[in-house]
Amino acid sequence: MRAERSLRISHVGLRGVVGAGGLTASHVLDFASAFATFLQTPGPVILGRDPRASGVMIREGVVAALNACGRDVVDLGVVSTPVIQHTIRRQDAAGGLSIGASHNAAEWNALKFFGSRGTYLSTAEAGELLDIYHLKKFDFAGWDRIGSLKLEPGAIDSYLDELGEAYDLAALRRFKVLVDCCNGTSALILRRMNQRFDFGFILINEQIEGVSFAHEPSTTRRMVALQLAPLVVPVGADAGFLFDVDSDRVAIATERGQAVSEEMVLPLLADYLLPRGPGKLVIANLSSTALLDEVAGWHGGKVVRVPVGRQAAIDALSCYRPEQIAAAGEGTGAVMMPRFRFVYDGIASMLAVLSMMLERGAKLSEIVGGYPAYSILKGEVPLVSQQVPALLASLRARYSDGRATVTDGLRIDWPGRWLHVRVSQTEPLVRIICEQRGAEPRALFDALVEQVRSLA
Amino acid sequence: MPAREHLLKIGVSGIRGVVGEFLTPALACAFAEAFGTYVGGGRVVVGRDTRSSGPMLQHAVQCGLLATGCDVVDVGVLPTPTIQVYVAATGARGGIALTASHNPPEYNALKLFNAQGLFFNNYERGELIDLYHQSAFRRASNEEIGRIAEDYQRAPEMHIARVLRHVDAGKIRARRFRVAVDGVNGASSLMTPRFLGDDLNCEVEAIFCDPAKPFPRVAEPRPDTLGELAALVRRTGADAGFAHDPDGDRLAVCDELGRVLDNDDVLALVVDAALERLPGDVVVHLTTSSVIDDIALKHGCRVHRTAVGEANVVETMQAVKAVIGGEGSNGGIIFPPVHLCRDSYTGMAFLLDLMCGTGKRISELHAGLPQYWRRHGTIRCGHGMLAAVMTGLEEAFPEALDSDRLDGLKLMLPDAWVHVRTSNTEPIIRLAVESKAETRTGELYDRLARFCAGEGETQGEQTRCFS
Repeated sequence: MRAERSLRISHVGLRGVVGAGGLTASHVLDFASAFATFLQTPGPVILGRDPRASGVMIREGVVAALNACGRDVVDLGVVSTPVIQHTIRRQDAAGGLSIGASHNAAEWNALKFFGSRGTYLSTAEAGELLDIYHLKKFDFAGWDRIGSLKLEPGAIDSYLDELGEAYDLAALRRFKVLVDCCNGTSALILRRMNQRFDFGFILINEQIEGVSFAHEPSTTRRMVALQLAPLVVPVGADAGFLFDVDSDRVAIATERGQAVSEEMVLPLLADYLLPRGPGKLVIANLSSTALLDEVAGWHGGKVVRVPVGRQAAIDALSCYRPEQIAAAGEGTGAVMMPRFRFVYDGIASMLAVLSMMLERGAKLSEIVGGYPAYSILKGEVPLVSQQVPALLASLRARYSDGRATVTDGLRIDWPGRWLHVRVSQTEPLVRIICEQRGAEPRALFDALVEQVRSLA
Repeated sequence: MPAREHLLKIGVSGIRGVVGEFLTPALACAFAEAFGTYVGGGRVVVGRDTRSSGPMLQHAVQCGLLATGCDVVDVGVLPTPTIQVYVAATGARGGIALTASHNPPEYNALKLFNAQGLFFNNYERGELIDLYHQSAFRRASNEEIGRIAEDYQRAPEMHIARVLRHVDAGKIRARRFRVAVDGVNGASSLMTPRFLGDDLNCEVEAIFCDPAKPFPRVAEPRPDTLGELAALVRRTGADAGFAHDPDGDRLAVCDELGRVLDNDDVLALVVDAALERLPGDVVVHLTTSSVIDDIALKHGCRVHRTAVGEANVVETMQAVKAVIGGEGSNGGIIFPPVHLCRDSYTGMAFLLDLMCGTGKRISELHAGLPQYWRRHGTIRCGHGMLAAVMTGLEEAFPEALDSDRLDGLKLMLPDAWVHVRTSNTEPIIRLAVESKAETRTGELYDRLARFCAGEGETQGEQTRCFS
């Protein structure tokens, strides 16, 4: 992947392939200076990174910029994003930054920003940060008020203490669990859990790597099937889990070696969390499986559908009282739970799945197999931006027999099936998704792709 | 009209400014990217003095170096000469020191060294500044990005070992000298007491050797800023007092009576000792005292004069293969066998060695030097005023026998010299006068200052030192 034109500066933060034409040191310094200028509350800024080689370069720039603006920095070193978010709360910090490109390939990197509650910035806050970045007028401190750097290597242990308050670790350690760490931060956490709590995690791809990961670090069924799922039966594990590099996402394999769709993680957790109360709402995006609505219905819950992308979920969350929410997430294996502070957290999600197995006394394959079958088809067509409105209008007319939602492209719902056509936020593509309860919606999908191609 | 204050200066001497609004981390990072691009990757050494802005700027510089595919060796807080020796000794591609030398604490700067551990010469600096302005930096991909290694121990050992090779350390140790030290809480704060105490077995009385504290006095070590060191020498009966600037390249010396020597005379003593062992060429800048000519003449050696600035002196020393050199008025001693840089450690070792070899006290050694009266001062005035001063000056001093226009204008009078030049770092003109008689020096200085005052606002004119 070449760096040219990979850079994206948006409400989600700063992201790109490191190198010429992509993400450079000066972007890092300016963005971190803007963040320090943006922060209003007193206190230090918590910093952590995933193991990418470029993370050290970015860290140096971030520390320099934050210190120059008078902010003390607490550097947690190589840790997962959830560990950073927890530390922000625990230390009453002004905010935090995570350096890491999560599920993207090794040559990518990114800066993610958190406010004083440890959560992602709202769209309004992120807009303010972007304005300051573009204005390039930063609040540098005088020479005698420059901030300092403190290294804090023990953050994972404090995070595990908090996990221990939310989950019965002593009971969960009976499971034999196989984990594909994809050379990322989950290895550090799980090794520590084996040491401290006598867990039996068996780790593959556990070497922390800066340059080349064992495979694409995305939490998809395809990646689960690659190395993790075939090993579950031979090692006799009760379950298999795959984490992305910064451990905020998870994907699942059953004890029978089945790679489970990434779409299943959120319904599975909703099924576990909804009956535990008090929250009755599940926040999900318009492209996530309709199984979720069915599961929510069983427990008298309701799904709130928001546009695709982290920012929409974050904004939706802030519109409800915490106790109204049971879970929030995406069909990518990224799930937030109120018990665990509304942080996308793959490790906490895994513990919730294990708790579910424990409470039901059921094997993971039995639990997963107990849900009605849904079949989802996904495709993409190159985008011509100026034709998008006409395309959506034409599709809406064609599928006027269904219920239309237009908050993110066009979604049409019929009983037992739906389609969603939207413009990608990360690539110049139109994304097409169809789902049907039971059999594959092949005819609908093919017709839709054809129509989008002819119009886009 | 008085000139704009130089709160930020990006030019051939690198980047230097007041930290905060002016010298920002983004500027330091971009300059380091230009440096990393210039050296083309490989190992680059980064160190600093004790300024509060040092760690912040070091992170920014390390960011820029890593971004261009360099590996960083962080040597931490060290004297500038120690960093230079380390760069040369470890085969690094270059080095960057975060230090504004003798400037006040609100300033900081990047000092740049090539693979030989030498200050960038004029041509290297020009090429670097072009790269900086072009902003076409090397951009390392994730695979090409290097690491930061820390090496806090080896550099002082390497530097001290090199210095000790050139003195009779056994003899110095046996004398058990008592020495007072003023480290200005700078980069030498830890290394100097260790060098004098452990390596040379001196009884060390140290003040201002806490690198975590701010500078306790004016950072430049001059007779008028070293009152506390002089008092310490008198109180403890020390044989000598040594004072540093914040980055430990300059040395000021106090005799056993508590009198701070003129920096020109310190250089003269060291030059005398060096030529005694090995006669050869001497290089000093134009403002350095004529006492150096007298000493060189005694040994039948030649003196070369250069423009003011360490890089200029070093360049000429390399060209003529000088055995010793330095910058008198600034307190810089350069002894090539240790390294081609201003080195206070060589200075301290040579003086203690000289005391052993001659059995004389510093006051006695000093009294043996030819006596000159010197006066230095500054005039704050607009840029470009020097030309007007220079054209008028030759008419104002018709008795001049000779002139030198290498750096401003130096007029050689029958019994004295006067020198005017612009500062490289501040919007001021520097004046210097020297003769063999106190009244003559005073009279010449007043004449010079009166003449120059017509062109600008006389300020801070001070008596640097009377021998």
